[in-house]
Amino acid sequence: MNDCITIQQISKNFGNQKALDHIDLGIKKGEIYGLVGVNGSGKSTLMNILFGNRVISESGGYTGQIRIENRTIAIANTKDAIKNGIGMIHQEFMLIPELSIYESINLNKEKTINQNKQSWLQKISYLDDKENKTLAKKTLKTLGFDIDVSLLVKNLSVNTKQFVEIARAINTDDLKLLLLDEPTAALNTEDSNILMKIIKDLAATGVAILFCSHRLHEVCNLCDKVSVLRDGRLVSTYGHQEMSVELLAKEMIGSEVDQMIREKGCTSEETILTLQDFSVKSPEERIRGLNLAVKKKEIMGITSLSGHGKAALCYGIIGYYPMTGEVFVAGEKKNNTISDSIAKGLFLLPDDRKEMGLMMEESVEYNIVFSSFQLKDKFKKKILKLFSVENMKIIEPYVKKQIAKLNIKCTSQKQKVRELSGGNQQKVCIARAAAMDPKILIVMEPTRGIDIGAKEKILEMIVKMNRDRDMTILVASSEIEELKRICDRIVVLCEGRLSGILDPGASEEEFALALTGELNNE
Amino acid sequence: MSEQRLRGLPQIVIGSFLMLLFIIAAALNYNMAELISGSLIKFAMNGIFVLALIPMINAGVGLNFGSSVGITAGLMGMCMAIQFRLTGITGFLAAVIISIPIAIVFGFFYGRILNRVKGKEDIAAIFIGFAFIPLMNFFWTVAPFSNREMLYPIGGSGLRPKISLANYFTKVLDQLFVVKIGTIEVPWGLLFFYAVIALIIVAFFKTKKGKALIAIGSYENFCKLSGLGINSNRILGVILSTVLAGIGICVYAQSYGFVELYGGPGAFAFPAISAILVGGCTGKRATVCQAMLGTYLYQTIFLLSAPIANTLLVPQMAEIVRMIITNGIILYAFLNQRKAGVHDEK
Repeated sequence: MNDCITIQQISKNFGNQKALDHIDLGIKKGEIYGLVGVNGSGKSTLMNILFGNRVISESGGYTGQIRIENRTIAIANTKDAIKNGIGMIHQEFMLIPELSIYESINLNKEKTINQNKQSWLQKISYLDDKENKTLAKKTLKTLGFDIDVSLLVKNLSVNTKQFVEIARAINTDDLKLLLLDEPTAALNTEDSNILMKIIKDLAATGVAILFCSHRLHEVCNLCDKVSVLRDGRLVSTYGHQEMSVELLAKEMIGSEVDQMIREKGCTSEETILTLQDFSVKSPEERIRGLNLAVKKKEIMGITSLSGHGKAALCYGIIGYYPMTGEVFVAGEKKNNTISDSIAKGLFLLPDDRKEMGLMMEESVEYNIVFSSFQLKDKFKKKILKLFSVENMKIIEPYVKKQIAKLNIKCTSQKQKVRELSGGNQQKVCIARAAAMDPKILIVMEPTRGIDIGAKEKILEMIVKMNRDRDMTILVASSEIEELKRICDRIVVLCEGRLSGILDPGASEEEFALALTGELNNE
Repeated sequence: MSEQRLRGLPQIVIGSFLMLLFIIAAALNYNMAELISGSLIKFAMNGIFVLALIPMINAGVGLNFGSSVGITAGLMGMCMAIQFRLTGITGFLAAVIISIPIAIVFGFFYGRILNRVKGKEDIAAIFIGFAFIPLMNFFWTVAPFSNREMLYPIGGSGLRPKISLANYFTKVLDQLFVVKIGTIEVPWGLLFFYAVIALIIVAFFKTKKGKALIAIGSYENFCKLSGLGINSNRILGVILSTVLAGIGICVYAQSYGFVELYGGPGAFAFPAISAILVGGCTGKRATVCQAMLGTYLYQTIFLLSAPIANTLLVPQMAEIVRMIITNGIILYAFLNQRKAGVHDEK
């Protein structure tokens, strides 16, 4: 075998959940190997194993074998990975904002004046800044980039940051395998193309590349070979000639799933939520001067690339992050607090279920009724006409009915939410929202990290709430395909500004243009 | 999994240590009946301080290292009762009732400060507790009390550090409804008062407000997103803790026989925290059962170890043992909390 890297029988469990199930892969020298799969299919886990991410060792390590050039290696931490010639480019930037470009690129492999053999001496010898700068410059040049390397990383644009990240990964003498985890997610089309070219050039020098992306057409263009992961298993592998976007998409999702499709056109003309000159500041995102009107009984999708404002919009409307501008709910002006939002009939199911959407150590039952008990005075009874406590006589049958209705798989309604699967946890969230019975429900990333069967059930529940209770629903998601199926209109944001309101029937190209802010919207 | 097995280990270790002490005490021919009734009094007189920790822990404000704030309110209540020369059970109850509004005001400001230092409440509370004592020292010296029994014997102005309650309400609860069971004297009045306070706490955490408090303590972001007022509820938790600490000192003082001013309030925070941790609380959520178990184990160990250590080992050994256990247990709990945190992240 002339494989550069061979992966044999790799398995990994997170708790009871199987993230990877006996994966076999072989990547040749100079080969670009694609890896595709839906969210939660195990791509990132595999990357993390190969790069020795702490997450893996902290959650019990992996089983199986990794061989580089016929040497079996054990990767316990990132240091091991780098030592063995593995580099990685992350989906989110792993750069230190306060360092300059050349410091970032040479981080942990700085050249020093008076190179000494003794390692402890090396650690305290002076850095050769001049040499480091030339080295960084040279590396960036190979990427077709000419820039002052003493600029601070925090002052760079998103695109440049991505290239610095790449430069950092390839700035090593014996790079054998480069891992790319969604490297193009933050780039616009033009820069993506540049990146593609760089990757090809890099492969031509004999580096094996594992390329992981959601953008299937990129994978089809770039990769010599591609494997599809589904639910932690490797389901199929194709060569460059055999693959096509449609084929990969079908393999990723698995053809046996019945897709939920909603009949459209039942919205009323009445406007229920109006945003005027709406701006939000969150730690990661900004919304800048947005104007938007949501109609009653509408399901409105909200999408953007990550970091471009879809989360900030949702959290801003509910009042979690400070906002400026005006929000009107059914004609009434809403102030900036969450309690006022809820009083006016808004409710939000957050994307971060574990931290903000659920009480993990509490029972299914308590999670479902908590919000409406505390805020809507439902399910309560008075003791001595003074103290309100939970009325278990109402709660128990109600929860039982909801569990049956939503098909929540749990041993009993007293089971802790932590013990449920992601899909069932999300169903508990939705049941909580249903008990609140808001006028406007904001759901964030309803299907993130959820297996495919449960995804459809959850989308169905959202549509059903909209239909049966005339609920207006805002769905923020990065899964455009899902939004297309359930939404009446889809708002696309770019850099915190409204980039377009698209019809669900709009083409992929239109969405791609809108996401990158290049859609002409008269 | 191993964490789960370890849970309860400290209780077992301390419980067996207590058994050992009882056996040694019996072997040394101590009067067991006296020791046991003594342990009941110790339990109830210190117990309310431990119960007072529960609201703050459950509201997520952390361990109340600054209980001297609430205790000062109780001292002020008692000083007022003495000033008006109220005696017996009336005096005691008056002290409690006067202390409550003072504690509410103190607790409000204490809570406001703790809300500003979210995440570092424990350390902030320690310093608030320390800083509050000199501030109140000033008050004790200039407060316009006029009952001669409270003032410095010489000079006649400023409160004395240790005011005797002998003429007022010494042991009113200790000696209320004392019933002898066999040879053991059981102070039913004191235990009854303690039980009422404990029941109020249990009942409170069953109500809507109490449930909200617990949820905020454990799942702050969840509750924030649900529209519950985080800061106001945290302040409520702090106020409850402060009020209970004030009642606690009244109970303690009637049993001890003196009102200790000036540096006195600073001595109660650590033992109370140690006690609830001995009872199995991890510092994230506390129950009345943990407080009761912890108080009994902790207080009885000291009751027994003092004479035993003084007999078997060097004199003063009791104090050394007390310090090691009190501070060691707090350190142990912090270590455990850190472990639990890592486990949660996963």
